[in-house]
Amino acid sequence: MQGISTLRRLFFSSTFIRIASAITTLFGISIFVFLVLRVIPGNTITGAFGIETGALNPQQIAELRHYYGIDQPMIMQYFSWISSFLSGNFGYSYATGRSVFALTKVALPVTIELAFIGTILGVIMGIAIGMFSARKPGSFRDFGGQLFGLLALAIPGFVLSTAIVTIMANKFHYFPNSLEYMAPWKDPWMNFQQMMFPGLVLGIAVAAPVMRTTRSALLETIDKDFVRTALGKGVPARKVQFKHVLRNSLIPIVTMTGIQFGYLLGGAVIVEKIFAMPGMGRQVLEAITRREYATVQSSVMVFAIMFVTINILTDLVYRRVDPRIK
Amino acid sequence: MKLRKKLAVVGVATALVAGVVLVAPAQAASKDLVVGITLDIDKLDPQGATSFSTVRALGLVYGSLVEVGPKLQIRPGLATSWGFNATGTQLRLHLRKGVKFQDGTPFDAQDVKASLERILDPASKAAARANIATIKSITASGLDVTLNLTIPNVPILAALDGVNMAMLSKKDIAAGNIGKTVNGTGPFKYVSWDAGQSVKLIKNPTYWGGAPKLDSVTFRVIPTEASILSALNAGTVQFAVITSPLVAKQVGSNLTMYKTPGLAYMALQINARQAPFNNLNVRLALQCAISRAEVIKTAASGDGSVIGPITSPAYKSDPKARPCPEADIAKAKAYLTAGGYPNGLTIKTMVAPTQQATIAGIGQSLKSQLAKAGITMELDVVDDSTYVSRWLAADFGTAIANNGGKIDPDTMYTRYFTSTGNLNKVAGYSSATLDSLFIQGKSSGSVTQRTAIYKAISAELENNAAWVWLFAPLEYRVTAKNVTGFIPLATGSLLELRKVDMN
Repeated sequence: MQGISTLRRLFFSSTFIRIASAITTLFGISIFVFLVLRVIPGNTITGAFGIETGALNPQQIAELRHYYGIDQPMIMQYFSWISSFLSGNFGYSYATGRSVFALTKVALPVTIELAFIGTILGVIMGIAIGMFSARKPGSFRDFGGQLFGLLALAIPGFVLSTAIVTIMANKFHYFPNSLEYMAPWKDPWMNFQQMMFPGLVLGIAVAAPVMRTTRSALLETIDKDFVRTALGKGVPARKVQFKHVLRNSLIPIVTMTGIQFGYLLGGAVIVEKIFAMPGMGRQVLEAITRREYATVQSSVMVFAIMFVTINILTDLVYRRVDPRIK
Repeated sequence: MKLRKKLAVVGVATALVAGVVLVAPAQAASKDLVVGITLDIDKLDPQGATSFSTVRALGLVYGSLVEVGPKLQIRPGLATSWGFNATGTQLRLHLRKGVKFQDGTPFDAQDVKASLERILDPASKAAARANIATIKSITASGLDVTLNLTIPNVPILAALDGVNMAMLSKKDIAAGNIGKTVNGTGPFKYVSWDAGQSVKLIKNPTYWGGAPKLDSVTFRVIPTEASILSALNAGTVQFAVITSPLVAKQVGSNLTMYKTPGLAYMALQINARQAPFNNLNVRLALQCAISRAEVIKTAASGDGSVIGPITSPAYKSDPKARPCPEADIAKAKAYLTAGGYPNGLTIKTMVAPTQQATIAGIGQSLKSQLAKAGITMELDVVDDSTYVSRWLAADFGTAIANNGGKIDPDTMYTRYFTSTGNLNKVAGYSSATLDSLFIQGKSSGSVTQRTAIYKAISAELENNAAWVWLFAPLEYRVTAKNVTGFIPLATGSLLELRKVDMN
């Protein structure tokens, strides 16, 4: 009886439900991506040969369909891909002559590093400016902070990226991203130079929502009784600010940061393109143009797994931040 | 105060992380040329290459029997001389002596035979098979090759140029190594391909035309032309091909720009087998409502020339010979009325703006011009692959097309405008007159005769408004100031990098 009750508890525990729903979501995404790619016109042959596809005879097209594995019924294609994916075989990129796993192994660290740097910079800037604003609501400093938030939200990443690249290259003859990409373990200094501007652009994009969330969360918490009590007891204002107010405002900030990190993984596409970063965004974009099904499907699944994992981790961080959540 | 100090610390840390302190990156060695490309290469098989990047990069590694020079003349490549028999059904080529593949194997007629047979073999998926499909058999001996043709076909000589006609080693073909190993007779040797990043080549000291002055050429992928221009300004890239007139306008005096009229052309492609375009008056109305000069001005910043169907200099169409060489709205309206549309009509035009930098502008320009004649143009914007797919299926009424040109009009248009051409369904137009004229053009060895034939073909196409030919855009090659000796080729090939030096 006790065993059954433990099983039941496990089955209905929030973590279990969360993981089960994540798996269902991933399964749904895999079907969605697979179908969307087949619904849009074109296929791997037109992607590879362009208008020269018209010069191919029916026998050549049949051979190519077999070669690319698109002569199989859709259901077969799906299960062949998903079973391979689950066993660690992400498929083959015909355009590069390499496995999608090998390509992802190179591209994923670039995107993760970029998203990580963007998030760190965004959180530092967002929380700092949010606190700065919330300290005196309605004041000139609050106006300045909110103006930053508004501008950071309004200026598109591609405009900021293009402006930075153009100004740095034209005025300072400096564009380290046009040199060969260097991984941090190969040449950390060059990697830093190549990451700093795209990281800053993404950081500004993250800072805006984090700043606004921080400001409103702080303003909400600052009026709470426990804050007044702490101040009344003579706890220094700075200590109250960080230990009581900020800590109790962290939940929405953590939520926003988690969501933003997830978006950065996918949203870095344009920044990767302008700064010539060989990341996952570019990998997916080029694969869509070439209709390389396996590359797109497997790369999107990698994104989806990461997004879902980050959401679960964010949930777990909640518990750490606020023990009331179970 | 304390909070302010902390904020200041955070600010300084952020600024440091953001990299306010700049250190100039290491510069490339003096004779290492870096070429900026927006798209990575997509294969190592030269005969199957279709993307511009692949064609340009592999074009430096492989050689072809003939080459097309700066004035679009056919000049010796791996073949030094050639001649047709009296009926134009046999082409004899004599090969260059002492040429070696980059692995040291001598190049001879057997390699030519094996290479051409590979192109003719449907299993090889060679891109230019249709251009030499009239080869019936090949005989090879020593340094002499004879191509026996099924029909008289003089234009086949020009079709032997380019990377799709690359000469491969018979040994590599037999071993099934094409696309896996890279072994050509060109001025540069393949070193490596880092997918998504770069392709590296080094000079071939035993090149038949003399060792190149450059030590190496690296094709580096920088996905936007604006970023490539920034890299040129930063000095990290020394050579690039730019297609966007807007980006080209930003090229400063610190760089050298070559503006070259290419063979490619922009056209409003019409599917004349589909209503209402099966009505000649409707097609002529489109033809008369459009000012090409206006399109060039608004979409290509004035960089381009008005053209007729044939862009090959030797047989170039005269755009003034067409019906309505200038826009004539009254005539366009008259054609619409005659065609049964006195109150105008609405047409849908397929466009893929990412195909070429001027396409979005062309769409807008045409839309506003046609509106004056009572034609409402709805732009059907799609991505490249969708465009290609629908284009091949002739699933469009009209489409803005960016088509490549060839130095011989036969190779350029036979596949489109003869009733048996493999792209005739896409072209949407054919006639018995055109079929007959194209056969005459193929079999004639006389330039005078061929000029008259292609003039008649141009007239037939334009009088029937098969498509609305618009303009030939300029191609821009931009180099750093220390790059000297580059000769731009209208074919888009970068083969002349073999003569480039860096000071």
